[in-house]
Amino acid sequence: MKMSERLSDYSLQKKIVQGRNGGLQKVGLIGAGGLGQEIIRSITRQGIEVVFIDKSEELIVQIMESIGRQLDETINKWGITGSEKRAILSRIQGSTDFNDIRECDLIIETIHRKGRGTSLLDRKEVFKKLESIIDTKTVIASNNATLMISDLASALSHPERAVGLNFITPVSKVGIVEVIRGLDTNDESFDFAIRFIKMLDKRPITLNESLGNISTRLIVTLINEACEILMEGVASINCIDDTMKLGYGLQLGPFELADRVGLDKVQKWMDNLYFEYGEQKFKPSPILKRMVRANHLGRKVGMGFYKYEHHKIVSQAITTTDYI
Amino acid sequence: MNIIVINCGSSSIKYQLFDMTKNEVIAKGQVDKIGLHGSYIKHERKDGDKVRLEGEIVDHQIGIEYMLGILISKKRGSIKSFDEIHAVGHRVVHGGEKFQSSALIDESVMAGIKDCVDLAPLHNPPNLKGIYAMQSLLPNVPQVATFDTAFHQTMPDYTYMYAIPYSLYAKYGIRRYGFHGSSHRFVSNRAAKILNTYLKKLKLITCHLGNGASITAIKDGGSMDTSMGMTPVEGLIMGTRTGDLDLGVLTYLMSKEEIGVQAANTLINKHSGMVGITGVSSDMREIEKAAFEENNERAGLGLKMYHYRIKKYIGAYMAAMGGADAIVFTGGIGENACDSREEICKGLEFAGVEFDIEKNEATRGTEAIISKENSPVKVMVIPTNEELVIAEDTARIIEEIK
Repeated sequence: MKMSERLSDYSLQKKIVQGRNGGLQKVGLIGAGGLGQEIIRSITRQGIEVVFIDKSEELIVQIMESIGRQLDETINKWGITGSEKRAILSRIQGSTDFNDIRECDLIIETIHRKGRGTSLLDRKEVFKKLESIIDTKTVIASNNATLMISDLASALSHPERAVGLNFITPVSKVGIVEVIRGLDTNDESFDFAIRFIKMLDKRPITLNESLGNISTRLIVTLINEACEILMEGVASINCIDDTMKLGYGLQLGPFELADRVGLDKVQKWMDNLYFEYGEQKFKPSPILKRMVRANHLGRKVGMGFYKYEHHKIVSQAITTTDYI
Repeated sequence: MNIIVINCGSSSIKYQLFDMTKNEVIAKGQVDKIGLHGSYIKHERKDGDKVRLEGEIVDHQIGIEYMLGILISKKRGSIKSFDEIHAVGHRVVHGGEKFQSSALIDESVMAGIKDCVDLAPLHNPPNLKGIYAMQSLLPNVPQVATFDTAFHQTMPDYTYMYAIPYSLYAKYGIRRYGFHGSSHRFVSNRAAKILNTYLKKLKLITCHLGNGASITAIKDGGSMDTSMGMTPVEGLIMGTRTGDLDLGVLTYLMSKEEIGVQAANTLINKHSGMVGITGVSSDMREIEKAAFEENNERAGLGLKMYHYRIKKYIGAYMAAMGGADAIVFTGGIGENACDSREEICKGLEFAGVEFDIEKNEATRGTEAIISKENSPVKVMVIPTNEELVIAEDTARIIEEIK
């Protein structure tokens, strides 16, 4: 076989040539923290490649190991097979060099900031940097719950390609992703993002931008009100959670949910929403703030509204009287 | 008359171009990894010319365009223009209760195939994609659909019904449909020819043993029972599928392991069967190697289970039909694994099976009778050819409409 022979030589229509034609084969992801890793798994499981960018080589090795462990857990739960794991891992490439995402068909920014304050400035910087590297038409998506995509897009000279996404954890089990249209987002970019979410076998929930989207606005008010009920000494954590689970069919009660998300993150969502809307319902409950200060951040540290051993609830961590 | 046969999977297209006048394959190949990284097309012409070309193949339509492009190209091609393609035959996995035989594709047939998507959500959609692509690229060429389930539509109700509330059958069409229909049909017709009699006069047990496996009881010229059910997971133990399983085990496991429907599906379809039992592989050759050369006990256990399950079905089908005239082996394992054939037939002398060990050992991938000369029940090996069934059905239907 001669090297000069190419598949495109056999195209019936000359318009089918090598290169990008709306195909989606490779996604770039900036910042592979916990949520970023979950997104990487969901994308690569569908046969799409991912190049992720993070801060150091050391971190990249850790991230790859962490993804490997998560896949092992899925195997142990019969979700995938060993060969599927190998195929998934082979589609993931980590790098510290932004130039490695030049060829990607879509970029998702999933950076996160530790501690208080918003990550807006960091994210804007990333957006600017991306624009200097990638094609003018490549869609840039930001995954976040409480930032406005138009704010981020304002850093771009082509703001029409910016789309907001909001993946909810655990990504592999949640069947929806919010797809958010900013002020400048054009139809092409928005439709591309919708198609991408469908490729992940999830239902895209399309919405116009509004801080907190649908999911975060509703869930933080539920958690906040649950804290109020607890603080008033009306009922215990267990009773409140069970009421919502057994009474309304929620999979997790508000406290279990808050613990799973991380109380620091919940508080940050509330701060951002309160700052934007100025409404009391978004103002973080004093209980929540006290627990964040004490580093009782939820399941990830083994202590939140519940106590955890090996990520499983063993008991309520606080009783109502502790806080009255 | 030239007929192209297309078999579209979720990310692949297998194709063969038949010259029906000369009864030969002019060209064949496979498009693979459609929509994924590293997609390619592998093409082979009857003179042995082979090529593998990588490039971006984003969907089935583009894959088929390249395939046609290669077929009419000067360098690799076999035909000069599309006028030399007289019909297209498509493999369609699920035809539900609507299709008893292959059908000329028109709007109502398309609607019928779409109605069956619920029954085969992984298979029928890519089959439909292939049909759409061909319709748009060769709009004037007649197309025919051949269904994996069609051959088994002769099953009587008492063999295809499940003992669940009848209302669920009425509501969702939950019943046994069976698969590998084209293969069982092909080898049963061949068997009748080899035995020099009419299929209608024979009672046959056909064992399609490949990565997926099913066994069919054929009486009065049609399928009267088959081991696969509404989905391909029922029946024999397969490479990665459980085959028959106590339903209670599944609900128990879902509760104990705290898994949902999706993981349960993966468990019974991908983690189970030979790979689950042996922990070695889903590939029979590797399992046999582990069992015989490395004395791997679980590999040995897996093989015993595999053979026993088939033997049990043969016995059951003999009882169901009142005996059998022949047992036919086909599929990758059925055609090649002489050890398996021997183990399966061992101990069936009481039922009239006089197995010829020497003939068996001499037979790999070729047509042969591997029972003794005067064995009341013949044991046969017949390599299957599902593509040929599709091509022949297509040719017949095209002739009829002319």
